Amino acid sequence: MYKKITYAAAINQATHQAMKLSKSVMIMGQHIDFSPGVFGTTVGLIDKFGKKRVRDFPAAESLMTAAGIGAAVDGKRVILVHSRIDFMLYSLDSIVNWLSMWRFKSNKESNVPLVIRAIVGKGWGQGPQHSKSLHSWFAHLPGIKVAMPSTAFDAKGLLLESIFSESPSIIIENRSLFNLTDNVPTSPYRVRYGKAAIRKKGKDVTLVAIGSLVIDALKAAAILESEGISVEVIDPRTLTPLDSETINKSVLKTKRLAVADPAWHSFGAASEIITSVSEKQAKQMKANPVRITLPDSHTPMSAPLEKKYYLNKERIVLEIKNLLI
Amino acid sequence: MNIINHENILKKGKYKNISLKSINKKTAIKLYTFMLNLRLCEEAIEKEYHPADEMRCPVHFCVGEEAVPAALNNLLENEDYLFSHHRSHGYYLAKNAPMKKLFAELYGKVTGANSGLAGSMDISYAKNNFFSGAILAGATSIALGVAMSLEMKDNCNSVAIAGFGDGATDEGIFWETLNYAGLKKLPIIFICENNNYSTFSAMSTRQSGAGISERAKAFGVNSKSIFGNDVCLVNQELKNAISNARKGKGPFLLETFTYRISSHVGTISDENVAYRSKKEVSFWKKNCPIKLLEEILLKKKYINKNDIKNITKDINKEIKISFDYAKKSNFPNISSWQDLNISSSTPTADKLLKDYEEKDFDTNQKIIVEKGF
Repeated sequence: MYKKITYAAAINQATHQAMKLSKSVMIMGQHIDFSPGVFGTTVGLIDKFGKKRVRDFPAAESLMTAAGIGAAVDGKRVILVHSRIDFMLYSLDSIVNWLSMWRFKSNKESNVPLVIRAIVGKGWGQGPQHSKSLHSWFAHLPGIKVAMPSTAFDAKGLLLESIFSESPSIIIENRSLFNLTDNVPTSPYRVRYGKAAIRKKGKDVTLVAIGSLVIDALKAAAILESEGISVEVIDPRTLTPLDSETINKSVLKTKRLAVADPAWHSFGAASEIITSVSEKQAKQMKANPVRITLPDSHTPMSAPLEKKYYLNKERIVLEIKNLLI
Repeated sequence: MNIINHENILKKGKYKNISLKSINKKTAIKLYTFMLNLRLCEEAIEKEYHPADEMRCPVHFCVGEEAVPAALNNLLENEDYLFSHHRSHGYYLAKNAPMKKLFAELYGKVTGANSGLAGSMDISYAKNNFFSGAILAGATSIALGVAMSLEMKDNCNSVAIAGFGDGATDEGIFWETLNYAGLKKLPIIFICENNNYSTFSAMSTRQSGAGISERAKAFGVNSKSIFGNDVCLVNQELKNAISNARKGKGPFLLETFTYRISSHVGTISDENVAYRSKKEVSFWKKNCPIKLLEEILLKKKYINKNDIKNITKDINKEIKISFDYAKKSNFPNISSWQDLNISSSTPTADKLLKDYEEKDFDTNQKIIVEKGF
């Protein structure tokens, strides 16, 4: 059975179901036990599962990640929640020096099933310290999987998959997605890592859109369709591992590639995706691939500037048209 | 007030308070044998390190710091967890991990504790719940997570031990860890082997205030500082702390003042850095934990010179076997870099989760930006 629910409700449902499925699942984060429940995603957990499995944690972010690693080493399946990804950066030592290399260092003998939910703010003047998406940093790191769910269906399925897999993952959730609705199975289910979704079929251009830009890309594709331009929209869902096979297959057909990435322009996921295609078929492509990204700048607070800074469907339409000239 | 710190210990001259009152003969000999075993291991590795250059990884030797690992070896159960810093060999052996696999790890061989992937600083032996790492306080904070998990279990009296040096307490995460351990009364013992130096920098150039163990009390963690080369005293204090933690009475921090006779890293002397005086080094050599215990064991006639000779002979035999094992073993071969870093199988997800078809996503819906936050 499917039910139409929001992205936030899907995350909430996945967490409830995971904690019911296995007693080893626990969740930690600041204010996860308060009534607003991290934008609705953790509401009701404390009443059902108690304060040991649902731990409100001090603003000691580095310790929280390390403690999660320790608990996972002792057999727990741990979900860490950061209502702002920016605070997570205090735990870079735990993530980079310990979490990512735990399995490697032990030659596969010890695993850390830990999921970090990191939320990226957007809009309402969140400014530079509440709005950056750092997925490409973490995707660069061996030993950690990175997911960017764009729909409620993926948000639930990828969270459950992450909780019950053996290696650590970072799920980056954009606030602008939390109210979007989708048809979501009421039972627990999985969305696998490394398997892209073709969100719309098309033949003229391949548009890979990441995370929060998937819906903008689909809206842009609808506009272009009405003007006779057929765009294939691919949502990679996860960056590590990346389903470059599906992307390459699409570009073999369209011969054109654009990547919409809600992150800074340089050294990002867009560059990586374009490379993974160019290395295979640069000579056959009909146009130079294009990155549709944020500028190499921090996010301004002022509303008109904020509007200018972020990407939208109009900008995507323009970039795709340029690709066809 | 009788404050223990490195300056005061040096003023006291030879340590005369070692006493066998708290332990029986068997335990005394066990502690002695462990320390001698560790010392001879380290010295044998040092001797073989250069110019052979077959152990191609940085090694932080722990000559002079044998007391804490010896006491832990005596007190811990297999289920207890032990987390170590980069000066790890003593802790590794304390958890009864095999000597030959330590040697093979240093040689980078497939038979090493971690198939040669980790080396001296990062060695672990998951089977016996032993882990280590080089980024100082990091391991301490992971040990806390283990303690948190242990405390959630019914009928579990296991503990987590975090061994670290004074350098780790320069890092902020260490104090976050103490705060949470005290707040939740977790079954964790913090053991600070205070050897006065973070590489070459003395405590007095890095920290002010009351000292590490005093500061722990402010975080709600009971603590004590002691002369750390008296293995009987270390054993007694850890025994109390571990027994209390097993009973759910919460964490403890033991600060043991000790000394690294070895250079910070490797076998080449770091005397040229001139960070410590000859007088200081010679004081600690005279007060080495093995020597102090040996003197009283001989005096009380728990052992005689011949016993020591026999113990040494047995240890040297195992060291030789370990070298042979390490040298004869093969180098590792990696079949998949990817699976080495991220598990390619998902047995738990396969068991619990089904695949579902995704329905069409409604592209026309409006994106709502929340107001206010």
